Amino acid sequence: MKLTIKTILASGMMFLATSCTFFEVEKVIDPNNPSLESFLSNPTLAQLDQMGVGVQFAMRGTLETVMGDFYRITGSFGREIYHSAATDNRWQTEILGTRPVDPAGIFNQPYNGFAQTRRRAELFAKSAETATILTEQEKQGIRGFANTVKAYVMLNQVNLQGSNGIRIAFNDLSAPGDMLKPGPFVSYEQALTEIKRVADLGADQLAGAGSAFAFTLTSGYNNFNTPTNYRKFNRAIAARVAMYQKDWAGMAKALSESFLDLNGSLTAGPVFTYSTAAGDVTNPFFKVANDANRPDILQPLFLTQAEAGDTRVTSKTRPRSTPRLIPTMTISFTHEAGQYASNTTSASIIRNEELVLMYAEAMVQTGNLSEAVKALDIVRGSAGLQALATAKPSTIGNKDALIDEVLNQRRYSLFFEGHRWFDMRRYNRLDKLPLDAASHQVYDKMPRLQSEIDWDARNPQ
Amino acid sequence: MKKTIQFFGILCLMLLNLAAMAQTISGKVSSATEDALPGVNVVIKGTNVGTTTDLDGNYKINAGANAKTLVFSFVGFLSKEVEIGGQSSIDVKLDEDAKQLDEVVVTGLASSIKRSNLANSVSSISAEELIGTTRPATLDGALSGKIIGANITQNSGAPGGGMSIKLRGISSINGTSEPLYIIDGVIVSNAQFQNGAGTNAFSGATGQQTGTQDQTTNRMSDINPADIENIEILKGPSAAAIYGTRANAGVIIITTKRGKAGKTKVSFGQDFGASQAIKLLGAEDWSEAKIKQYGGIYNVGVDEALEMFKAANGKTYDYEKEVYGNTGLISNSRISISGGNEKTKFFLSGSITDETGIQKKTGFGRRSIRANVDHKLTSFMDIKVSSSYMNSNNQRSFSGNDNNGVSMGYSLAYIPNFMNLYPNEKGVFPRANIANNPLQIVEKAENNEKTNRFLQSVSSDIYFFQKEKSFLKLAVTGGIDFLLTENEVYMPDDLQFQQQRANPGASRYTKNKSLNTYIQGFLTYNYKLGRLDLNTQVGAVRLTTDRDLSFINGEGLPAGQRNPNNATVRTFDQKFERWQDVGLVAQQDFNFEDKIVGTVGLRYDKSSLNGDNKKWFMFPRASLAINIAKFDFWKISQINQFKLRAAYGQTGGVPNFGNTFTSMISGIVGGRLGLISPTTSGNGGIEPETARELEFGADLGFFNNKVNVEFTYYDKSVFNLINPYTLAPSTGLTQINAFPVGDLQNTGIELGITVAAVQTANFTWNTSLNYWFNRSKVTRLIIPNTFVGSGFGTWGRNRLVEGESPTAWYGSPNVPTTVDGVTTNQPTKYGDAQPRYQLSWSNNIKFLKNFDFSFLLHTSQGGNNSSLNYTLKDEGGTTHDWSTPSTEVDAAGNILPMGRTARSFQGLSTSPSTTANAIYDASYIRLREVALYYSIPRENLNKLFKNAVDNVRIGFSANNLLTFTNYYGYDPEASNFGNQSVGAGVDLLSFPNTKRYFFHISVDF
Repeated sequence: MKLTIKTILASGMMFLATSCTFFEVEKVIDPNNPSLESFLSNPTLAQLDQMGVGVQFAMRGTLETVMGDFYRITGSFGREIYHSAATDNRWQTEILGTRPVDPAGIFNQPYNGFAQTRRRAELFAKSAETATILTEQEKQGIRGFANTVKAYVMLNQVNLQGSNGIRIAFNDLSAPGDMLKPGPFVSYEQALTEIKRVADLGADQLAGAGSAFAFTLTSGYNNFNTPTNYRKFNRAIAARVAMYQKDWAGMAKALSESFLDLNGSLTAGPVFTYSTAAGDVTNPFFKVANDANRPDILQPLFLTQAEAGDTRVTSKTRPRSTPRLIPTMTISFTHEAGQYASNTTSASIIRNEELVLMYAEAMVQTGNLSEAVKALDIVRGSAGLQALATAKPSTIGNKDALIDEVLNQRRYSLFFEGHRWFDMRRYNRLDKLPLDAASHQVYDKMPRLQSEIDWDARNPQ
Repeated sequence: MKKTIQFFGILCLMLLNLAAMAQTISGKVSSATEDALPGVNVVIKGTNVGTTTDLDGNYKINAGANAKTLVFSFVGFLSKEVEIGGQSSIDVKLDEDAKQLDEVVVTGLASSIKRSNLANSVSSISAEELIGTTRPATLDGALSGKIIGANITQNSGAPGGGMSIKLRGISSINGTSEPLYIIDGVIVSNAQFQNGAGTNAFSGATGQQTGTQDQTTNRMSDINPADIENIEILKGPSAAAIYGTRANAGVIIITTKRGKAGKTKVSFGQDFGASQAIKLLGAEDWSEAKIKQYGGIYNVGVDEALEMFKAANGKTYDYEKEVYGNTGLISNSRISISGGNEKTKFFLSGSITDETGIQKKTGFGRRSIRANVDHKLTSFMDIKVSSSYMNSNNQRSFSGNDNNGVSMGYSLAYIPNFMNLYPNEKGVFPRANIANNPLQIVEKAENNEKTNRFLQSVSSDIYFFQKEKSFLKLAVTGGIDFLLTENEVYMPDDLQFQQQRANPGASRYTKNKSLNTYIQGFLTYNYKLGRLDLNTQVGAVRLTTDRDLSFINGEGLPAGQRNPNNATVRTFDQKFERWQDVGLVAQQDFNFEDKIVGTVGLRYDKSSLNGDNKKWFMFPRASLAINIAKFDFWKISQINQFKLRAAYGQTGGVPNFGNTFTSMISGIVGGRLGLISPTTSGNGGIEPETARELEFGADLGFFNNKVNVEFTYYDKSVFNLINPYTLAPSTGLTQINAFPVGDLQNTGIELGITVAAVQTANFTWNTSLNYWFNRSKVTRLIIPNTFVGSGFGTWGRNRLVEGESPTAWYGSPNVPTTVDGVTTNQPTKYGDAQPRYQLSWSNNIKFLKNFDFSFLLHTSQGGNNSSLNYTLKDEGGTTHDWSTPSTEVDAAGNILPMGRTARSFQGLSTSPSTTANAIYDASYIRLREVALYYSIPRENLNKLFKNAVDNVRIGFSANNLLTFTNYYGYDPEASNFGNQSVGAGVDLLSFPNTKRYFFHISVDF
């Protein structure tokens, strides 16, 4: 080959020709997902719908470890079940008290999940404020929905943290810089006051939200998908808040506006739905029968302390074909939790059964003992038990005995749904919970997360 | 444009013609041991006229009448200048150069420099050093213990490698601390792709849909080490500044073999080998008393366990031996053909590697072919093409962290040795006391990976003019690296643990496609100004990467079926990633008679990964080397080299793809599509993290370089470390994904001593001793103290704390600590994952003319692992010393057996289980390589094969033959979470590392 001036020139030109784009690098936008910004300013109805459905998705727990661990941790603390993870002894050592719970460990998913859902609900409401397509009523509906979700998750969060309290104040979320300055931790009681305020605000907003939501309430909210009906769910959550505040009158009032129905189906109420469709999640509380890997095994007192004939014992638990042994414990665990038929069975968020029991408790506490007995007998009857007057005549007219009975019915009706430990705590009865090894102890709260401690160390309030 | 034409015109007119009267000189070049040296360059001093010696070391050169001196040079030997003085026959003996000072070292994108003039400590690894002794499985494995200043660890012993190389400490927290790899001028991928083996349907190590616990290999394992001629390692920013934003962790420059003019040479090599676990841990026997003390066996109560024990009637099984006790077989075959003439040279090679692992149905294989062709188009233009195709595959089974009872080491820890787990005559595996019978996993579960990869590079040097005192050239290099890695992870529905899942039977097919393109162009102007030699370079580079990562995951497979398309629950994922970097480079070198050598350079970079894609970032460098011994005043003849050097440079580290985005996440509920905001936030304004390094050193040569000492001190600091900014999680955001959170400093010392101890005709001994250490410290931190990297809480995690090492382990107890008047509970600090120091000693001894003995001893001292090994084995009751009475007591005052003490993390002991019980010294001394080779004497070969065969070499070697360590575990080199900057060194009974034995034969025709 003969190299001439021309060939050199040609190659030089080729090099120059490519150089126009040679020095360019593109402004990359995420090729995989839509950006958050596009949802925050004047969203379309479709975007609002997706955000609204997203909040319901998030509230159910984006990971198995949000609601799944919430029930497992509270279930273990309350000695309802033990999570016998074959390859993670932290569920026995840390959760049952032989070693402190690691504040930076794996048990913070519920806390994080609740906080994240609260933020998502706020972002949804914030987005709706900018939507020119929405009417004021529709905006009220979204505000009311968001505040109801916030109250639900914040209550779960503060109950886990107990006397450690939680943060309740957060700056404007739209500016990243503001994220860096959350408010201080407030006490358990202050947090409940705030949660009550949020729930009440949501109720007021829902009352002015017209006849329909501007977004889809999914199939789990089948009878709660209008502002009026959803407000009844809001009031049920408000009743729970009042119960933890020991505001018995407030609790009774909230219940009266909720979907409490002493004559209705005890299972009525919104549910978390699950499916095996791509992108959906399955029931995080479900385990196949006799699972050898990570079963939720039953603390046996649930069987032995049950009244004879209580159908809840057999409907919510099942015997294991191979009894489970947990290293360092001497009990052979013969039963396991089993209230869900499959991994697509829905799980109740709050149902009439709990409302009836809350009603009973409010009645006991406000001195209307006969009304309490009436409510308790509804639940007892549905579980195949005789009325209190027959089965436990000594409870009639006896406030303390009726409180015991309320807690006992709650134990069996709301088994492994995140209530037992809180119930025992609010009546100062944690020391009545059984210990199955000398090194065990019952905690009264989860530790504050190390990342929260670290934050405050760096940013003193 | 007109000016350009004129310019090129002038350049061409300046091209020189050389013509002179001829004198012919011939002779033979041999080594001190009187071996003929083929391929030696013979050049007439001050000209470009030259030749090379043939296979018998003979040369013939036509020298002009003015020629006065011949220069003989050859890689690995000291150059020699001989006055012609009218002789027509000149025989020359070259001395071996232990330190190879005349060797040319590639130091930049288009520049190279003589080693004796280097201002940095650049490690070079020759083909001989790389795999001349023995055959580690992968290229990066073959570097272990050979690079001063590097911390090289194997993540797991599973077939196919998985190595982490960190040069001069920690270069990033969240980004990569792995160096940039360049093969024949083109930046190549060393990605570690995920395959889902650690996800819920398989080992369940992580609850996420994808994760960091898949234990996959990194892509350097595709490269055939036998194709490599030379590797150069630019360890820090002061040497690597010219590589800009991707060079914070150093640069590894790999040059493959090329053809030489002369007779066509065919080389064939074959290795046969075997591999075995370096160590198995064994398991303590059970007795009725132990069962009672334990409270049964794992997951089984006392009565049932006693029944099983009695039924076994004393019969025991060694499942660890069954699983990990096999001997793997290794076969490497390679052939290369090289040759050519003055105009065209070629190197063709092919290789086949097949290894079976120490666990049944595991293994590693690699096929590669390569064609490297060099062609001189004209006297002023050449073109080099390097082209290769690789196919590699591995079968790694399951090891490491686990939540489903499938990982081997993990499972074995819990199985009592009296339990029969062998399948019955119908092939049914008995149930174990854990979720799955490990023998069934070995037999039926699969974790396979295959990669097809093309690596291409083309480069051309065009000299516009070439004169006695100056030249101007354009050097252009371009290339692509295309790879497709396909993974298959499969758990049949009849696996015991799958049977317990809602949808039994799971498979995941992952496809990871990556295309890198690279192009660079450099103009180099070299000229002499009096006694000063000057070299000016300007150039531009462009790198693009496109990745397409996808998988289909199926759970609930039809019996016996693998296609996830038929599964009950199908999960899909598709990710696109792409980025581009552009750099502009200018560099000025000056050289005053090899006495004072200096460089200043500047690089400007921009990248689409930065928040502002239009912003240029500057990376300067400067270096100076002074060869004091070359000045006339130097009179100490014993010290022939005395060089002082200093270098400064800056490099960058780009943000990860996606760091700038805050994007919605999709999810389905009740059949409706929902979108949720992410739990982390992007940072649209993120800029690269930058590293600055100052390096000082001195190189000394004694007794005509018989003894060389190289000493280097460096201070490498990384500024504006990109790391997640951990937020208060109650805000609903856990972190801002990328934030300039602080600074980090690495300081260290590297000391190398090379001695040509004995050089006689019958015996030569070359030895070198390398010592190095690195210390890392967080010097500034604007965010709260933060856990970083992966780890298992109480068993130790790394943490960013100002003034402390980012690789130190932290854990319980959390104690009140007061900083600036604020008291908070802070975790306790334990040992560091980085070693206190490393030392390697390599030796090469040639004796009786034809024997060659070499070994490499390497030690890493003072590094610590976060180990769950005792925890797992103690919990399962299988630790070798489980029943041995300890000094610890339980709450009731009973003496505990060793297996129930605080180290087991079961909380029975009155001594608390703190993280101290999980952090173990991972120091070791290892005979990494040892070999004995014999070359059949030439005379015998000639007689035997009638001159048809040039060389036959046979030998035996071993890799990791001996390991001395007090560490409890399969191997002190382990990392459950793979190649992380921090968070490496977490061990949960990782796949055992292996020792490998070989028989080698190579024949050259």
